[in-house]
Amino acid sequence: MDKKNDRPMLSPHACARSRRARVSRILALRPSRTPWLPKAVRSALLAACLCLFAGWSAMGAAAAAGPSKETPEAILKTRYQLVLELVRHTPTYSPPVASRSFAYLAVTAFEAAASGSPRLKSLAGQLNGLAPVPAREPGAVYDEAVVLEAALADATRSFFQNTGPTGQRAITMIARQLGAAAAAGVADDVVARSAAHGRAVAEHVRAWSLTDGGAVVENMGFPLTYAVSREPGRWVPTSLIRQQQAPLLPAWGANRPFAMPTGAACDLPPPPAYDETPGSPFYEEARELHAASARLTAEERAIARFWADDPMLSPTPPGHWISIAVQILEAEGAPLERRLDVLARLGVALADAFIGCWHTKYRYDTVRPVTVIRKLFDPAWEPIMATPPFPEFPSGHSTQSGAAAAVLAAAFGDPYAFTDATHEADGLPARSYPSFRAAAEEAGLSRFHGGIHFRSAVTEGLKQGACIGAHAVRLSTWR
Amino acid sequence: MPSLVVRFAACLIAAAAAAPAEAGGGPLVPRFVDETEASGIRSVYAGDWEYMVGGGVAAFDCSGDGFPDLVFAGGTAPARLYRNGSERGGPLRFQAVESGVELDRVTGVYPVDIDADDIDDIVLLRIGETVVMRGLGGCRFERANEAWTFEGGDAWTSAFSATFEAGSAWPTLAIGTYIDLDKGAMPWGNCAENRLHRPRVEGGRPARGFGPPVPLAPSHCALSMLFTDWNRSGIPSLRVSNDREYYKGGQEQLWRVEPGKPPALYTEAEGWKSLRIWGMGIAGADLDGDGFPEYFLTSMADNKLQTLADPKPSAAPVYKDVAFARGVTAHRPYVGGDIRPSTAWHADFQDVNNDGFADLFVAKGNVAEMPDFAAEDPNNLLLQAPDGTFVEAGDRAGVASTRIGRGGALVDLNLDGLVDLVVANRWKDAEIWRNTTAGAGHWLQIRLADDPPNRDAIGAWIEVRLADRIIRREVTIGGGHAGGQLGWWHFGLGATATPQVRVLWPDGREGPWQAVAGDSFQVIGRDGPPRPWTP
Repeated sequence: MDKKNDRPMLSPHACARSRRARVSRILALRPSRTPWLPKAVRSALLAACLCLFAGWSAMGAAAAAGPSKETPEAILKTRYQLVLELVRHTPTYSPPVASRSFAYLAVTAFEAAASGSPRLKSLAGQLNGLAPVPAREPGAVYDEAVVLEAALADATRSFFQNTGPTGQRAITMIARQLGAAAAAGVADDVVARSAAHGRAVAEHVRAWSLTDGGAVVENMGFPLTYAVSREPGRWVPTSLIRQQQAPLLPAWGANRPFAMPTGAACDLPPPPAYDETPGSPFYEEARELHAASARLTAEERAIARFWADDPMLSPTPPGHWISIAVQILEAEGAPLERRLDVLARLGVALADAFIGCWHTKYRYDTVRPVTVIRKLFDPAWEPIMATPPFPEFPSGHSTQSGAAAAVLAAAFGDPYAFTDATHEADGLPARSYPSFRAAAEEAGLSRFHGGIHFRSAVTEGLKQGACIGAHAVRLSTWR
Repeated sequence: MPSLVVRFAACLIAAAAAAPAEAGGGPLVPRFVDETEASGIRSVYAGDWEYMVGGGVAAFDCSGDGFPDLVFAGGTAPARLYRNGSERGGPLRFQAVESGVELDRVTGVYPVDIDADDIDDIVLLRIGETVVMRGLGGCRFERANEAWTFEGGDAWTSAFSATFEAGSAWPTLAIGTYIDLDKGAMPWGNCAENRLHRPRVEGGRPARGFGPPVPLAPSHCALSMLFTDWNRSGIPSLRVSNDREYYKGGQEQLWRVEPGKPPALYTEAEGWKSLRIWGMGIAGADLDGDGFPEYFLTSMADNKLQTLADPKPSAAPVYKDVAFARGVTAHRPYVGGDIRPSTAWHADFQDVNNDGFADLFVAKGNVAEMPDFAAEDPNNLLLQAPDGTFVEAGDRAGVASTRIGRGGALVDLNLDGLVDLVVANRWKDAEIWRNTTAGAGHWLQIRLADDPPNRDAIGAWIEVRLADRIIRREVTIGGGHAGGQLGWWHFGLGATATPQVRVLWPDGREGPWQAVAGDSFQVIGRDGPPRPWTP
């Protein structure tokens, strides 16, 4: 037995070596440090991606001719494909807001399935404030695909409702198709009972979500009034966009987390104190970043671009890690319960990471590199990435990547080589990593290469993420 | 070049003293009277998802009486032509007439004289086949796709611009497309191909009619296009504003379109910076008097105002965003209390108070009940002050409608020298306002009469010398959102009663400076003095 399977909180399906070997062949999950995939592997990856969408199209065609029964695994996969698109096309979904929605969606799916599973253990009582979900009728027959689809359909509407007309249209069309496919061949009374239960679970989670402090986001998360600090070293606006003259979601760190006790549970020591004196730790960090920006390699630029994960132009940073998990689970052919376990833990860890990170960001309220470097070294300096409109320390991508890596390493093993094709549709080639930790470190460094974070924000962010991720890893999901 | 800056600043200061202004300071706020009810116009841009964009209106004279007529895209309803029956200076009056344009699935309308017969033709952007229609005079039109060998295709077309390439006997049309119609359920990342319809070549010689369309790949779901001579090279390039909601890996684009060569994108290596917005409309104007156009790009939340970073004839296409500094971000409703961000569509620069400074109108409206964006989203009328900043006056001017705006036209509909306003709305009636501003400055309206094939001198620059500075306009077709205008080019003159005017013709020939009377209409050809025209 692999060492990682000794951990009691993990799925019994985790990471058998034979499966890993098979998955590696399909998805090129190979223990290689080569950053770029060979063409043949890329083709295989692309084929795998195309298969996902082909399955979707086939489902639509089948619906026209009378749907065939769909598995819960396929329903879950399609639902995640949909929400990863919806997040990209919903302006309110800045990374913290997106992470929250992903978490509630995953918990809904998990609880819907756990309520009828002899093996899954409910997260009620483990996640802050989550009471037991409605129970199923004893002895009654349920269809798991119908339960899951009904729960996810409602959760999609609850947590991804701000999307535009095309997103709304997609939500409606997918719900119609998946609803019919889930119910195909199932007795009407079972469909009715199963759907009602799925909706009841979704409503239970939705009601729970309303009290976490993050349910209402106005003006895309930018407060209409905000007193920017005049103290040296504090954050000041860096954007020419009017909306971003106030920072994003300054109170997000006070939200109720999912698995960690409070937003302060994994707080960090302060970054180097603001000091314009040459030789001071702060000055040297700024000088390091300025110098590095002048000699960026093509590879470093590619890394910055790959992990940019810009809101409204990508699935966002938390969506990127969820995409990674979905790719691996799909390539593994993982059974439903394992998928739900991984996605719930990952969703929880990512959401907690943004709460914890935002808590620390607004505790220290530190200035961005672009402000410092223009003042100290070069008034015309431009980072290659757009500077996000909120305080610098720690790096949000680093914190959430550290958290994601902790969960995924616990779930799939460490090291676990994988290839990430999240951005192929945007013309960015897939990248390969020997481990989740390596990917997380690259994600963190992308912010340094991009010129939007000092090095300490990256290294400390990764540490914070590991701490936060451990809370999700400690959840007990198996009976 | 500091000396130029200083000189220009001096001009601004001098002009400020002469420009019409409010008693308490600031630009003169125009007065617009809503004449929708009595105007005779009843036009709704109708339809569901496929009509969430588009909804343009075109303004041009199809009757030959000098008064601009209007054609509205109808969406699922037929397009309609409204003939202008207004008296000079009087109330705005229109009458719907059967014209041949009554096609359904029309998203946008642009006028252009394609066959150089001095009668404007029109291009109908549609969901389905794009249709070019030949103007017959008397506001009658006939389909001309076959006669002009125009391949209308089958796409969701959403943007248009036209130019006349040197040496051609026929215009070049750029047609922008939106989402691939075959990807209805999951349209994201599926933008159909934009097309460039260049003149036909027969036996190696230019011929009448269009050749097979040239793809403008990559295409990123265009919602506005504009042929514009951004660097004053004499060869217009094609700006394309794209909707980031639907592309993957896309950005705003600038195409180099040189005669006899395939179109080529300006690249990052040449200075073009990636900009990814919900691009919906383009308006161009030389706002700072340096001879190079600024470009206002409509989007959601903040809008952009781009100015060349280093304006000179050999400039690289490097633009900086000065929307914040100039006060034209127009990112949120300014009346009504809805705090959510705005959604901007059609935009145009016109001088609505005749003070000699171009003002900016922006049509606003939610895409379709998008919860992240304002539902009550008033149109903007941003008045330019002599210092180059803009101040919102839509509410004070009376045009802060919160119907769901899409297309629009700022054009002098009753030929009284004051720019009027018409706005096309989604799901609601179009609106029309008459400009009745008292105390506005002098004005001048010019129509160019060039030789065939480019009868309207598209690509020319008109320069007007005021007492203390020169103002100028580029003669273009395209831009805005889903609708354009052709006809009189309006200039506000401020206190200058007798300006001088000259034309820089599309082939580079510089016309002479000639004095004309203010408050007049002038037709200018290549030879001879300007010809006064009276309605």
